[in-house]
Amino acid sequence: MEFITVFKEATPLLLKGLGVTISVSLISIAIGMVIGLITCFMGRSKNIILKGISAVYVWCVRGTPMIVQALVVFFGIPFITGVRIESFYAGIITLSLNAGAYMSEIFRGGIQSVSIGQIEAARSLGLSQFRTMLKIVLPQAFKMSIPSFVNQFIITVKDSSILSIIGLAELVNMGEVYIGATYIYFPVYITIAAYYLAVISVLMVVSKFVEKKLSYDKKS
Amino acid sequence: MTKKVKVTGLCKSFGDLEVLKGIDVEINEGEVVCLIGPSGSGKSTFLRCLNRLEDSTSGTVEVDGAEISDRSIDINKVRENIGMVFQQFNLFAHKTVKGNVMFAPVELKKMTKAEAEKKAMELLRRVGLEDKADSYPHQLSGGQQQRVAIARALAMNPDIMLFDEPTSALDPEMVGEVLQVMRELAAEGMTMVVVTHEMGFARDVADRVIFMSDGYIVEEGSPKQIFTAPKMQRTKDFLSRMLND
Repeated sequence: MEFITVFKEATPLLLKGLGVTISVSLISIAIGMVIGLITCFMGRSKNIILKGISAVYVWCVRGTPMIVQALVVFFGIPFITGVRIESFYAGIITLSLNAGAYMSEIFRGGIQSVSIGQIEAARSLGLSQFRTMLKIVLPQAFKMSIPSFVNQFIITVKDSSILSIIGLAELVNMGEVYIGATYIYFPVYITIAAYYLAVISVLMVVSKFVEKKLSYDKKS
Repeated sequence: MTKKVKVTGLCKSFGDLEVLKGIDVEINEGEVVCLIGPSGSGKSTFLRCLNRLEDSTSGTVEVDGAEISDRSIDINKVRENIGMVFQQFNLFAHKTVKGNVMFAPVELKKMTKAEAEKKAMELLRRVGLEDKADSYPHQLSGGQQQRVAIARALAMNPDIMLFDEPTSALDPEMVGEVLQVMRELAAEGMTMVVVTHEMGFARDVADRVIFMSDGYIVEEGSPKQIFTAPKMQRTKDFLSRMLND
């Protein structure tokens, strides 16, 4: 069977690619969350400049395809600074900037979903605005946003494949390396698809578990 | 008697809309004052100015000797002594009943966790909800939620309690249980300012009833005087509408 031979032969290469896919995705998700939270607060601030920066950033990311974003980062940074950037770092910058914009919107929705009444109740007890945000609003906003976050995580993992355009040695890229040497296409692509499915399934199971663990709505 | 609240010339506008047009009120320690009046008369806005949930446009508000309207005071410190109960209960949805009551004293370092827990259980017993300590707010009825909200406000040992239409969002059969808790509180000597449509409560419990309309205090006096011999026509009209319903 061609499939089995291909699977055996390509596995070391694909696993290497999978490792890059996972590490780039996880790092970008972590950075993206921080960027998202900061962007969200910038957007909510009264300072018009901060507000503007956040709006323009989200607008640019949403308004351009990620493949273009990857190319702009990968070729733009050397063009401006004169320093070459490795595809691994360019990939992380692209992916986290991309995820950050979407996550800021998720945070915004989560924060808005907490009733103003709860905020007033906390303030009336003597809590500062900051502590109210930290202890009352954010915990609920986070919980409310978990399904949307998981959705964004999945998108980020899959979108990391776009980074093969800038030569990042992730899963798709490694598959193409193997195909380049062997001219076997279909079994390799199917194997790659199976890898993605496996990773994302794990993500979905973990998220279901987390969602259940954190929910205070369904327990009785 | 010590003055707990002293309001002078309080005005409040939302944009072009003048909601309070010069309110003067003094409230003594231990006094229970009920604010009645038609919707949109400014009762709730007035109440919310007492802990600066609304900023006043002009005039002064003194609560517990602190000048609330002064921008330079630490409003959070002052609010620790002013409990507030809202129409919509506003319990923290992600915390248990006990967690709601314990939250502020622990967070503001008024008590240790153990002290706050003990206090919370005492208060929950007082409002008859000891057995609900580990439930979440959404598992309780409206009346139960409001009783928890009262316990939450009391956990900070406030000197004064503000009630903003505490029974207006409740099903009729749950109004009684909340009013009962408030009656007990009044009997214990708590200073209370209550915005309410419950005329029976105002008549029985209040030391003084203030009738507001269109951003003014139209009339104030003892419940007996307001309910049996109102001086102003507007008060009469309002009461006849309320009492005939």
